Amino acid sequence: MNPSSCSSSSTVANDSLIREIDASARPPLFVLFFSGAIWLVISSILGLIASIKFHSPDFLANCAWLTYGRVYPAATNALLYGFAIPAGLGVGLWIIARLGQTRVVQPWIIAFGAKIWNLGVLVGVFGILNGDSTGFESLEMPKYAAILLFIAYTIIGIWTLLTLHARQEKTLTAPQWFLLAALFWFPWIFSTAHLLLTVWPVRGVTQSIIAWWFAANLKFVWFGLVGLAASFYFISQLMNRALHSQYLALFTFWTILLFATWSGIPHSAPVPAWMPAISTVATVLTLITILTVMMNVYRTVGRGCGQAANPAPGKFIAFGVMAFVVSWAMHVLNALPELAIFTQFTWFNVAQNHLNVYGFFAMTMFGAIYYIMPRVMDMECPCWGRVKAHYWLALLGIILIAVPLAVGGIIQGFKLNHPQVAFVEVMKSSLNFLRATSLGEVLLLVGHLLLLANLIGLAVRYARSRVTPVFVDAMTEIKPAGVKS
Amino acid sequence: MNYGALIFLAAFIGISASWFGFVLTPQIQIGRETQATNTVNTAELYPIARPGQANEGAEVYRANGCVYCHSQQIGQSGTEVNVVLSEIGTNPVAVVEALINAKVGVTNANATGLSAGLPKTILRNVSIGNAKKASKAVRDAGAESRVDVVPVGVDIERGWGKRHSVAQDYIYDHPVMLGSQRIGPDLANVGVRLPDAKWQLLHLYAPRTVVPESIMPSYKFLFEQRKINGQPSPDALPLEGDYAPPAGYEVVPRAEAKALVAYLLSLHAGAPLYEAPLSVASAPAATAATNSPAK
Amino acid sequence: MSSPANPTETTAADSRESQARGAAVPIWLIVFMFLILYWGALYFDSNGGWFSAKVYAPYHSVEEVQGLQPVSGGNEMFELGKAVYNRPTCAACHQASGKGTPGQFPPLTGSEWVNEEHPGRVIRIVLNGLQGPITVEGQTYNNAMVPWNSLSDEEIAAVITYVRQNKEWGNHASAVTPAQVKAVREKIKDHPLAFTAEELLKISPEE
Repeated sequence: MNPSSCSSSSTVANDSLIREIDASARPPLFVLFFSGAIWLVISSILGLIASIKFHSPDFLANCAWLTYGRVYPAATNALLYGFAIPAGLGVGLWIIARLGQTRVVQPWIIAFGAKIWNLGVLVGVFGILNGDSTGFESLEMPKYAAILLFIAYTIIGIWTLLTLHARQEKTLTAPQWFLLAALFWFPWIFSTAHLLLTVWPVRGVTQSIIAWWFAANLKFVWFGLVGLAASFYFISQLMNRALHSQYLALFTFWTILLFATWSGIPHSAPVPAWMPAISTVATVLTLITILTVMMNVYRTVGRGCGQAANPAPGKFIAFGVMAFVVSWAMHVLNALPELAIFTQFTWFNVAQNHLNVYGFFAMTMFGAIYYIMPRVMDMECPCWGRVKAHYWLALLGIILIAVPLAVGGIIQGFKLNHPQVAFVEVMKSSLNFLRATSLGEVLLLVGHLLLLANLIGLAVRYARSRVTPVFVDAMTEIKPAGVKS
Repeated sequence: MNYGALIFLAAFIGISASWFGFVLTPQIQIGRETQATNTVNTAELYPIARPGQANEGAEVYRANGCVYCHSQQIGQSGTEVNVVLSEIGTNPVAVVEALINAKVGVTNANATGLSAGLPKTILRNVSIGNAKKASKAVRDAGAESRVDVVPVGVDIERGWGKRHSVAQDYIYDHPVMLGSQRIGPDLANVGVRLPDAKWQLLHLYAPRTVVPESIMPSYKFLFEQRKINGQPSPDALPLEGDYAPPAGYEVVPRAEAKALVAYLLSLHAGAPLYEAPLSVASAPAATAATNSPAK
Repeated sequence: MSSPANPTETTAADSRESQARGAAVPIWLIVFMFLILYWGALYFDSNGGWFSAKVYAPYHSVEEVQGLQPVSGGNEMFELGKAVYNRPTCAACHQASGKGTPGQFPPLTGSEWVNEEHPGRVIRIVLNGLQGPITVEGQTYNNAMVPWNSLSDEEIAAVITYVRQNKEWGNHASAVTPAQVKAVREKIKDHPLAFTAEELLKISPEE
């Protein structure tokens, strides 16, 4: 049926259009999610190696490529750039297509962009292991990889915008604002940071300020916008009701844009006092973001908790929202100088970062992927049991990482603040907590293997269900609904 | 409602505000700092550019991610102002009287023995105004004193530095590796704390032979184990036990290890600057004061 | 086999999503935000150092940092002199150490010219400069010193005090007051040229 017949006032979108939209999104989403799952497995293997070094510091000591200071940033970059950003782009693309009731514009170009992105991540992770890291946290990818990433993002971003522009349903809703802002955000911060840090480096500590600005804008603004867009969209989908309040969502949107952007400079920074002071105030103001999200989600779900049509993706999304509240609240606490002196330079910040990047963003993306992929592949997920297993593994894994690190970090912080306690003692006291997280890393790894298995399962069944291979241009191959082998 | 353009504008405002605040303004304000003679009371240039080998060492430090375990920034929680009496002059009684009259905390009760064992800290942790008042009173009574400005804080008590770090300390660094974690100790001042290059090399190769409970990874790949040809190399590490190479072999640092150590030894953090005031002549007194337990 | 994950449910929800529900933002949230903003303004006022590049935590204001600049013995003239000396005015030739440059610029450490009981000659040298040969500590120097009469009376008094009272340099002469400098400036206002050592030796240092 002609998609243009779905006017903005239409309340009954027809099934075949929905199927066409899903089919058009298949090639890019398949590349983005499948490679994302592979990068997750790589990230957790690298993370596990890094974590073993705390049990046995002489492990692999002869190998420069596998020293802690290279494996650890390689693991975090594989997670951030290998999984989180492409997953966010994929989920965002699908939401934009669905809400706009339009097919993805030239999906093969987006799939091509996704492949360039993966090439960039591959080159970058190898670069880090080879010792080419830039030395700035969250921005370790060397210059040559950054160019590929930037080109890939631009391709994906432009065609996502074209898809948004081509929408039939003209009204923009909360998830679309969030995604649109995020789309513009990343290239801006990424190019600014790389140009001023690696291409024409600025002098002295201004480098650190820009690196902190970038990290906060990536981890709080970009992940916040994309993650919350997915949360809002899927919560209303799963609960089968509209978001409680567009105005609260607007508040969330503006507070992220105006406050979270300023939240990066730590209290301890060797920079003139006005910068950490502004950061502290801005970070405390993100309490409004947290409150509006809590109210909106709570009111939308209401008494219908547990009534979701398909509970498995909903569980991931629900955990993601909780982790969002906890991690952003931890960030607010961290910003207060009275508390920051006990948490700065400790594992507490690592726990906060894990809860934000993994507990909130990655978990929300898992839920979204499990919701989207069966629809996009036009196929029931082969095994909801394995999805549930992934959920429990991820949940236990992230708790086993975040809780010991947060508790151990606070103990470490108190001891660091008592100069009578020798430094070796401080280090030893956090070591047991640190070792507990190795178990969490193992659980996450198994979870990631399950995600990969689930996606492979879908792909194999999809391939078996039709003669044509998986990588097809969906625009040329739209199936009538319900045709199954 | 179609506010695509409006959302773009919102994103634009949000990002350009923070870009203006945390990219442009810092660059205007501290992005052009140069080597300067703003060290207090001397005309010395600060900071001194690193020699070539130390710069290569900074690259080794970056490539191997030392920054993930070691910070390079000193914090400070406050500043103590002390008055130190250095010469009592010809009339000790008048000095004591002048101090009591200056009403800066010296009373009849605690004035006894004030002149014994000079130089001596007669006022500890007073306001700068009182310190100057006391100093002037002492001077007018014919004695000599000085006012010590002593930064205090946990990092300083641990001996990691003398004062809080400031932008001027990092103008020659690229990348600036401040670090966000202290899995290992802070290194801002390691060149002063542990100035022995031999110790540093041994610690890089076999950390647990010098610090038994260390969890620092061994950086064996920065060293070379080779057969001894004739005379053992003077660079060979004095290794024992598990770490010792087989007989007839020796372990010598590669160029990277030497460069890394040169970089570590180039790390200093103690020059008194306008924005980080600190009395230098009083270094021994300052150490004594900061070794006391935290207040 | 299985049907694709419940299409009718998604269709309905998709369209419902686009119907905005517009529950109002509770007033207490806005009040709360303004309370945080109010607190933030107070916090920034006391901790932000008002955008000064020279104020770092734990300091709060430029005045506080200025007040803590090291002083020795409450001798503010001496401190001012040290600052003037190292601007660099004198330090450019006589060096920060006061030792001068052998054969070119005479030392100020232990110099008989500096340590004279009365400062008349040394004030003249600083004000108008010096030309031609001069013997300092047994060594003869033949060079020119530029006049520093652009400095204020107070600055000249301070810098000479700093040099004359610098114990580290072995100098133990009396301090110089701005009034003394002013008096000498008056006396030599008709003498625009640099002094020579010979000329100076004819003047009584007390004048």
